[in-house]
Amino acid sequence: MSKLGVFDVSVRYGKVPAVNDLTLHVEEGERVFVSGPNGAGKSSLLKAISGAVATSHGRIEMDGDLLTGLPPEAIARLGLSMVPEGREIFGSLTVEENLRVGTGLRRDAIAVEEDIAEIYDSFPILGERRGAAAGALSGGQQQMLAIGRALMTNPKLIMVDEPSLGLAPKIVDQVYDTLCALQEERGLTLLIVEQSSLRAARVGGRMVLMRGGRIVGEGNAADMADRDALAAAYFGKPSQQTEATT
Amino acid sequence: MTNLAQLFFDAASLGGLYAMAALGIALIFGVMNLVNFAHGEYIAFCVFALIVPSTDAVAVMFLGRAPALVLIPVVLALGGLIAVASEYAVFRHLRRADPVAMMIASFALGFVIRNALLAAYGGRPKAISLWPGLNTPVNIAGASVPLLQLIVIVTTLLVVTGLALLLKKTRIGLEMRAAAENFTMARLLGVRANRVITGAFALSGALAAAVALIMATQTGVADVKMGGQIMLVAFIATVLGGLGSLPGAVAAGFLVGIVSVVLQAWLPLDARPFRDAFLYTLVIICLLLRPQGLFVPASAKPRV
Ligand SMILES: Nc1ncnc2c1ncn2[C@@H]1O[C@H](COP(=O)(O)OP(=O)(O)O)[C@@H](O)[C@H]1O
Ligand SMILES: [Mg+2]
Repeated sequence: MSKLGVFDVSVRYGKVPAVNDLTLHVEEGERVFVSGPNGAGKSSLLKAISGAVATSHGRIEMDGDLLTGLPPEAIARLGLSMVPEGREIFGSLTVEENLRVGTGLRRDAIAVEEDIAEIYDSFPILGERRGAAAGALSGGQQQMLAIGRALMTNPKLIMVDEPSLGLAPKIVDQVYDTLCALQEERGLTLLIVEQSSLRAARVGGRMVLMRGGRIVGEGNAADMADRDALAAAYFGKPSQQTEATT
Repeated sequence: MTNLAQLFFDAASLGGLYAMAALGIALIFGVMNLVNFAHGEYIAFCVFALIVPSTDAVAVMFLGRAPALVLIPVVLALGGLIAVASEYAVFRHLRRADPVAMMIASFALGFVIRNALLAAYGGRPKAISLWPGLNTPVNIAGASVPLLQLIVIVTTLLVVTGLALLLKKTRIGLEMRAAAENFTMARLLGVRANRVITGAFALSGALAAAVALIMATQTGVADVKMGGQIMLVAFIATVLGGLGSLPGAVAAGFLVGIVSVVLQAWLPLDARPFRDAFLYTLVIICLLLRPQGLFVPASAKPRV
């Protein structure tokens, strides 16, 4: 049984199809990148898995539990956490309040405090600014906070939508170092949307390529990036491998 | 001097009343983008809960006879109850509906409550006497101020402080603030939508009950229409304050109260009947100049 099973899932917004009969399996402890052009349906796929949007067809399971039809808060309780596109930090809440929003589903009060201390350990800047409004943080700090916040629900599977969006390459390095360290330490399963196949190759893992709401390619991230580079060399199409800038 | 002090107490107590009514509306709008026009009917319901249901012209006190220590918590609970019940019966089924549909539903709900009250109590306003002693004036700074005005001012301060503490210090408060800013994100972090919304309705209903108790004491009248009038003013205050902003609702509630008292005092005698026309003209000018609300920082992201 896979950690996460997506079977024939479709998502549509009114009549606009975003995901079409997509099937995807993620194994426990795996790191899977979802790549593809803008509008391919990557974010919609993640939203469907987390329960933020309804599926129009198909079935989603985690550890054999049916997620389809459950509200997002119930899915979070089953151990799935999400870092959405654009981070969606609660800007008017303090840094520490942001971390605590996700702890309502936990009964281990002591471990919650330890987790918060650990996050401040990994991201000292968040600790320094724990009482400040989160909206005042820089983009990179907000990304760290969004990851920390997702950890606070004590998840087994974390989905991250475009963590590199709008961040300088050096900060992106840092974000991925953190994600990989956390995965190692906590035995997490990661599902990451990443436009840059080059970046995915460098971090390492499996990659699925989406286009038009379907999976059109799948393989080791490094191989996929090579293929991308080759295509770019032949057709002069620097499509997915461009790094996000600034 | 005497006049100024008098004006101050009038303005502060009326503003406090408006602020509490506006808070009740802003709380619900914050978590579910609903302008709940039934809020005024919650207020009327709580006033009528004080008297025995009958269509007789003379009101017989029912809950209103209980000692304050019993009466106040029971009426607050009743207000919370009718608000929570209406969420459960009506708004829960419209969570995915657009805001206009929810607003129309709230009008319909208000209509139902109003007519239920008419059926049970008749249409004529009734004289009631709740704590008549509170209208006896006391002398402060040369002004003669009804004790009730002081109580209203203190109550408003207590309610606003209490609400601020609740929002800042408790788990449900944190969840409400997170949900008000980004409901979906809060749910993705395990925050239960039902819990937050029920909490917001309960608080909103309790605020309506507080307003009802003050109005009943102040006016000495139970009138089915009394909810509609204050609802209108409170709604204007929430819009002025920036829909969904709690501090904005409080500030704008006070502002509207102050402006209407000042207009009442300073307008020429002939123009006084048109006080509200002046008031609403000022409101329109404010909204033309700052459509996002007076007390919303320009950087705040607009709500959809
Ligand atoms: N809220 C929405 N309403 C309507 N259409 C949407 C919405 N969100 C996304 N779409 C459409 O769905 C398709 C997939 O979008 P999305 O999942 O955001 O793709 P990606 O994340 O790969 O860029 C696009 O055509 C987009 O325009
Ligand atoms: Mg996207």
